[in-house]
Amino acid sequence: MPHRNPLPPVSRRDALHRIGSGFGTIAAASMLAGTTQAGTPQVGVPTSLLSPKLPHFAPKAKHVIQLFMPGGPSQVDTFDYKPLIAKHAGERPGTVDRKTLRNTKNGLFPSPFGFQQYGQSGKWVSDIFPHTAQCVDDICFIHSMHTDIPEHAGAMLMFNLGHLQPSRPSMGSWLCYGLGTENQELPGFVAMSPRAQPRGKAANWGNSFLPGAYSGVYANIASMKPDQILRDLKNPHLPRVEQRQQAELLAQLNRLDLQRQQQDQQLEASIQAMEMAFKMQFAVPEAFNTESETKPTHDMYGESEFAKGCLLARRLVERGVRMVQLSHSIDGYDIAWDTGHGDIKGGHARLARECDQGIAALIKDLKQRGLLDETLVIWGGEFGRAPTSEGQKGRDHDHYGFTVWMAGGGVKPGFTYGATDEFGCSAVQDRVHVHDLHATILHLMGLDHERLTYRYSGRDFRLTDVHGNVVHDIIA
Amino acid sequence: MPSVVIAQHNDKSPVHRRRFRNSLAWLVANCLWITAAQGSDAQQLEFFETKIRPLLVNHCYECHSGESKKLGAGLRLDSQAAIMRGGETGAVIVPGKPEESLLIQSVRYDTNEMPPNQKLADAEIAALEQWVTWGAPWPDEVPASSSDPEQGYDWKALRKHWAWQPIERPTPPSPGDAAQIKNPIDQFVAARLHEHDLKQPAPATTAVLVRRCFIDLLGIPPSPDQLARWVTGINADPGQQDMVISQMIDELLERPQYGERWGRHWLDVARYSDIGGWSQDNRPHPEAWRYRDWVVSAFNTDMPYNDFVSRQIAGDQVDSQSAIGTGFFALGPFYSSDGGDPESIAQAKSETLDDRVDTFSRAFLGLTVACARCHDHKFDPIPTQDYYSIAGIFNNTRETETPLVDAEIQKAYHDHQRRIRETQDKVKQIQKQAADAKREATEQEKSEIKSWQDKVKELNASAPPKYDFAHTIEDFGGNDMKIALRGNLLKTGEIAPRRFLRIVEGEERQHFNEGSGRIQLAQAVVSPSNPLTARVIVNRIWMNHFGKALVRTPSNFGTLGEPPTHPELLDWLSAEFLKSDWSIKSMHRLIMNSATYRSSSDFHEQAFLADGDNRLLWRMPPRRMDVETWRDSLLAVTGELDTTLGGPSIDRIVNSQRRTLYAKVSRNEPQGSDDFLRLFDFPIPRASAAKRTSNVIPQQFLFMMNSQFMINRAKALSSQLQQQATNDEARIMLAYSLLYGRPPTHQELVIANQFLAPQATQHAATDRWQQYCQVMLSANEFMYIR
Repeated sequence: MPHRNPLPPVSRRDALHRIGSGFGTIAAASMLAGTTQAGTPQVGVPTSLLSPKLPHFAPKAKHVIQLFMPGGPSQVDTFDYKPLIAKHAGERPGTVDRKTLRNTKNGLFPSPFGFQQYGQSGKWVSDIFPHTAQCVDDICFIHSMHTDIPEHAGAMLMFNLGHLQPSRPSMGSWLCYGLGTENQELPGFVAMSPRAQPRGKAANWGNSFLPGAYSGVYANIASMKPDQILRDLKNPHLPRVEQRQQAELLAQLNRLDLQRQQQDQQLEASIQAMEMAFKMQFAVPEAFNTESETKPTHDMYGESEFAKGCLLARRLVERGVRMVQLSHSIDGYDIAWDTGHGDIKGGHARLARECDQGIAALIKDLKQRGLLDETLVIWGGEFGRAPTSEGQKGRDHDHYGFTVWMAGGGVKPGFTYGATDEFGCSAVQDRVHVHDLHATILHLMGLDHERLTYRYSGRDFRLTDVHGNVVHDIIA
Repeated sequence: MPSVVIAQHNDKSPVHRRRFRNSLAWLVANCLWITAAQGSDAQQLEFFETKIRPLLVNHCYECHSGESKKLGAGLRLDSQAAIMRGGETGAVIVPGKPEESLLIQSVRYDTNEMPPNQKLADAEIAALEQWVTWGAPWPDEVPASSSDPEQGYDWKALRKHWAWQPIERPTPPSPGDAAQIKNPIDQFVAARLHEHDLKQPAPATTAVLVRRCFIDLLGIPPSPDQLARWVTGINADPGQQDMVISQMIDELLERPQYGERWGRHWLDVARYSDIGGWSQDNRPHPEAWRYRDWVVSAFNTDMPYNDFVSRQIAGDQVDSQSAIGTGFFALGPFYSSDGGDPESIAQAKSETLDDRVDTFSRAFLGLTVACARCHDHKFDPIPTQDYYSIAGIFNNTRETETPLVDAEIQKAYHDHQRRIRETQDKVKQIQKQAADAKREATEQEKSEIKSWQDKVKELNASAPPKYDFAHTIEDFGGNDMKIALRGNLLKTGEIAPRRFLRIVEGEERQHFNEGSGRIQLAQAVVSPSNPLTARVIVNRIWMNHFGKALVRTPSNFGTLGEPPTHPELLDWLSAEFLKSDWSIKSMHRLIMNSATYRSSSDFHEQAFLADGDNRLLWRMPPRRMDVETWRDSLLAVTGELDTTLGGPSIDRIVNSQRRTLYAKVSRNEPQGSDDFLRLFDFPIPRASAAKRTSNVIPQQFLFMMNSQFMINRAKALSSQLQQQATNDEARIMLAYSLLYGRPPTHQELVIANQFLAPQATQHAATDRWQQYCQVMLSANEFMYIR
């Protein structure tokens, strides 16, 4: 036969590596110094899929808190101040004469909100974000975001998965795949929202073709019961003492089985996983229970459901969770900020009021606990809204230009990057595509977006597909 | 002009500039503005894509493109080269000089008046002027290899890859001093082991072998009685052993549970799901289960694999039963747009086509043709044109319903539905009469309306239910499609004639011109000259017996896949497979009657150090059960398994006692059964799954410790033990026999008695037994096939 394939020589190192490769655990990993890239387990740690792994290079941030604003908040009514709109109100200059989703043809529509300057940086912020405005000196604004399409579902997936269809792993899954997580008794990636899940639902935090361990765990803040965050977290019948005895018995039987089988990585790992599961039953409800927080802390965050999510986000990253995705929602609507179509003034003011104080509290709280340096906070929606009007007082989708801001985690504080045109319609200066944002976030987390790959259906996949450039200019 | 060109070039490094100057000589001699465009920056190109191209498409292409019915003035505006060539009156653009460009003059209505029916908006004209001022930049969009698929590949060299070679029938190597040879499989395996100074493994114990055969073929373990019967039979007379084992295998292959188990393996490959469950992929498929049952039945009746394949591709052109097989495609995702944005609609369509090409090529051929969607395949000789040759077939295919009942029943249903509509129309007519006359309905009319409405109610109540039907596909056209440049259907290149892959069929390829071309495609897939189809399925069958395949990338036989660990064996098996007329059951018999299959799974330090991944098969690889087998086995040993065959899918499988393959599964958003299934590595059926992963995660143990499903199983097992045995020791013995097929060791008895001892708990003894049973059911020994 011409295609004979002689077996390559196998060293002990290869043998160990191979047997581990199906599962990602190498008990004798200390032999394998040097193989410490993201995606493989950290040296010396007998592991599960979620064990901490070394990044590609020194990271700036260890955790991500994404404050996701589904529906598309308007840049020119929030953080991208464009006084020229008022001057040219009603006109439709060529710059803004671009096709929007609903093909609106109206003229420029001034923001119904006032803007003030804040902080050392003198950043202009809309009156609907008075609390966040107090934090501008900690924030790095990117005004030159753009994305592929002006439709919610696709653009939201682009923002959270880097792809227009729900067929790829979410960013949080990629981070857990690349870095594992620091607390084995909690999920590595938690997604939360009050009320509605963002459109596309689980796809926004799903693992797709990555192993299930990297999937985000979703918790609804409005109806949350801390001991039901994970399925089957609590035994409905047994007291802890008897559960412990049961767990011991299972461990005993599994150890006997392991002895008989002599060497089996998966069997060893299962004994650890069982022990971890036992601990999760108590660690998870504790992390999701905010009762132990002080009154000043509660006061700082305020009453809103979103603020409770912010507080939970802080508790989770404090305990080592890799990524928290907190999506905004104030009722059952899965694209909250899309109320901007009909009424920017009412819709945006209400949405901002519900999240503003919590956001500011989160930044301050992380800062006072020394966590902001290692936690990257990201605020933004899947696209922005046009500076022209839709109907009398609304705005249509705008994917040509929008604002995302980040704080902490190694970005330049009190900094503004990129710009839209004079009316805030299209990103024109230092444009940043969502793929570039993803590449930058991975970079801040110590991962090279081109090297963080997973082989599936015959090819290597990346969060950034074949795109993405790290925006080095915003890194402190 | 040259200065403009250089100014537009972003990189000002001396090296770059020099290279650029050198190219200028060529530039001037040829055509200045093409390279000007190449040197232009991304913003200009984006301007082109957002302003210029849509404008050209919307206002000019009706008469000035390759798709125009009648080309106006011999002018095409759909490629850079065409615009450069100009039309009957010469060039239409002078790069950098809008005033001198005929195109600009025409849209201004200065010379010609174009477009003739309505002048462009001022902003559009201004955009065109701006574009020409920049030198009319056009994206460098046609990679040479995409328009000319024959370029770019060294076909002669690439043809040498093992997978493209014809299937030969190698002579099995001499057995040498091999300890046990049952059939040629063992000769191939033993020879490779000997090359590496490794021994053939000893046979597994009979009890382990029987359990292995049951779980492999049926997905459920033998009952203690069945186990005892076969162990006794096999061990009775060493001379008859092979025959009795063979008998057992034959018997198991005749059980309907066989099709349920092996049909499920195929459903992984077919990325079978009942629902999409996501707003942009939400076509309802309430009758999806008919395809699932069709697959199960195909395995049970040992449908020849070539028929099995052909019917999934083109069964609609055979008969209505065969048409059910096309659920393979009909049940796939059908992506749609969320708001009608043209880019998004095109993207959704191209993603849907991608699913069809990807699933087709990986499932049947073990090829990743979908990698060639945007560019020629980087590793395998699959040009982009080949992708669109296959995609074109599915572009002429659409989803439909195939009735599974006689025409009379269909007619009765449709007639009745028509009567309902007609009666409803009567109501509307009368209402319209009154509305048209701008008056209230008269009393007379009101009473007529009432009586017709009553009639509608009556008809609705007496309507026959919708007859049985299956989700299938049908042809609706016969056109080749064009290459979508970089995967974007809005930007097309050359025609891609519908035909098979060049690397398989060679240069002279038949044009698939019968309807969509699916029949011809099916013929090409199962043609004797195509070596992939048989190899791919034989390899999958091997994988599901051994846990690991001979080609460990079962859906990728291309150069990025792994080569076979035993190439001659794979070919020998494939040759046998073809000789048996594509019989899958014959392949099971061949494999399972080998000594290799009957090997022990015991660990050997020396062999492990030499071959840690067991590529040489120095033991039977121990396997963790997949989720279906594990759950079905739990229900089987507790005596609760409902063995009803087929039928509609079940919403929450954990609340049912049916087999796990009857769970309703969703591609996207998890539904009632999906969380449980995915917890134990059930592949998300968004794409064809080549093999199962087997991950151990803590949440699996939360399920084992705390779920109502496990607590219920423990209760059932506990009460079974109470009823069937009279003392604790007998109960423990029975539990070991039911669950693990062996008696407990002394140590295990001691451990059990300690746990069950009354003083250890305040709870009632039955509760303690239940807790014990739950642990026994959760143990690794139960979950592993050895």
